[in-house]
Amino acid sequence: MTKGMPPVTDVTSDPFWEGARAGRLMIQRCPVTGMHQWYPRAHSIHSPGASPEWVEASGQGTIFSFTTIQRGMSAFETPYTCVLVMLDEGVLVLSRLEAEPGADIRVGMPVEAFFGEVQGTPDLPLFRIKGDRS
Amino acid sequence: MECIAGALDDAGIALSEVDGLCVAASDWAEGGGVSSLTEFAEYAGITPTFFDSTDVGGCSYIVHAGHAAAAIATGLAEVVVISYAACPRWWPLDTPSFDPFVLPAGPGQFELPYGPTLISAYALFAQRHMALYGTTSEQLARVAVTFREHAANNPHARFTAPITIDDVLASTPIASPLRKLDCCVVTDGGGAIVMTSAERAKDCRRRPVHLAGFGSAAARTQISQIALDLSTPAAISGPRAFAMAGIGHDDIDVAQIYDAFTITPMLALEDLGFCGRGESGGFVDDGHLTLGGRLPTNTDGGGLSSNHPGKRGIFTLIEGVRQLRGEGPGLQIPDAEVALVHGLGGTFCAAATAILTV
Repeated sequence: MTKGMPPVTDVTSDPFWEGARAGRLMIQRCPVTGMHQWYPRAHSIHSPGASPEWVEASGQGTIFSFTTIQRGMSAFETPYTCVLVMLDEGVLVLSRLEAEPGADIRVGMPVEAFFGEVQGTPDLPLFRIKGDRS
Repeated sequence: MECIAGALDDAGIALSEVDGLCVAASDWAEGGGVSSLTEFAEYAGITPTFFDSTDVGGCSYIVHAGHAAAAIATGLAEVVVISYAACPRWWPLDTPSFDPFVLPAGPGQFELPYGPTLISAYALFAQRHMALYGTTSEQLARVAVTFREHAANNPHARFTAPITIDDVLASTPIASPLRKLDCCVVTDGGGAIVMTSAERAKDCRRRPVHLAGFGSAAARTQISQIALDLSTPAAISGPRAFAMAGIGHDDIDVAQIYDAFTITPMLALEDLGFCGRGESGGFVDDGHLTLGGRLPTNTDGGGLSSNHPGKRGIFTLIEGVRQLRGEGPGLQIPDAEVALVHGLGGTFCAAATAILTV
């Protein structure tokens, strides 16, 4: 198996990756507006003077869009499905959708997060169609 | 240098008069580097006192045109050359990992580990557009078919043989819903533009084309940060260009709209206001992108059929100028007087719009 693209983590993102290793999907929330943000930053994009706080996301969301990649970068074995998930907290995240080949995937379907490996990179939040335990 | 020499000869201006240089070729994968501007000044044998290497992707050269116009208007420069060339088909070295689209650090650490490709980012826009608005693969294909028709007479186009919607639908899946013929060609190529003041242009060899309006906007890099309604920075750059030019959509005789993929110009049509949000599929289906339609577009065949070295914004400017001079090598729009030139950068990360007049 070729090596994928493991993340280069940093002091701002450490709480996210620590959470991921513990099976918790951590996102940030603005202390002023209460609005969530993704991806992690050192400041709140909703109230730029404020420092965001870390909260655990529900892991529940819906498919905003998806694409099954047949031809891609050499670091990744095809095919695989990338997905944009609208989390219930109101933020979009990019991830992978793990589904059976030929599965009926549609925009708007409910999905839930789990943690797994992508091409040698462990503890990544991934998504599956809700109720699909395959 | 061949491009610059050709453009200067076309203008009737000597290289020694050039005091401004704009280049943006920092993509290592195409043979560029971070020192492209100084390297190119050295290679050409000039020492420009105004220069701009703003690189926001494919539309950078349209951005340069706006910046050059401002520099000329304020006296910072008299004659500015904007140029681009790249050789992705020949370049023998791998891409090192130091741009935001390939480096899994900073914001990229949350996306690159999943393996999104450049094309997949456009595919995510296309899939969402289809789900929201009923846009079909046939409508996407119509874009490719139309621009191939335009390329048919262009001797410089990479592909000129006609294709059908079925050909597009039967081509190799790349990133659903996009297929091979939904994607631009990969060619080596280059181009150059010479800009100067209207006063100086009176003495030029050729009748000048004027930059009447310009707008730009830069918004994001990560896929997760796209606007929920699929609007792009073109929704900002377009109105600014129209306002500066003081003209309306109906005044545009011909358009050159960056077409990296079939979904690319469709979203631009919506953002620029040529049709409503979600209506670009019908707009394309109704034949508005060709002669006789409301907005004949990509008359040279565009990136989908003519050429695409990696950042084809310079070619949208060149073809816009050619149309206004009646020299379009592919489909020439009769008596065109106003051209819209529009490009995006990255995956709808930035945008620039220019309006050209004679």
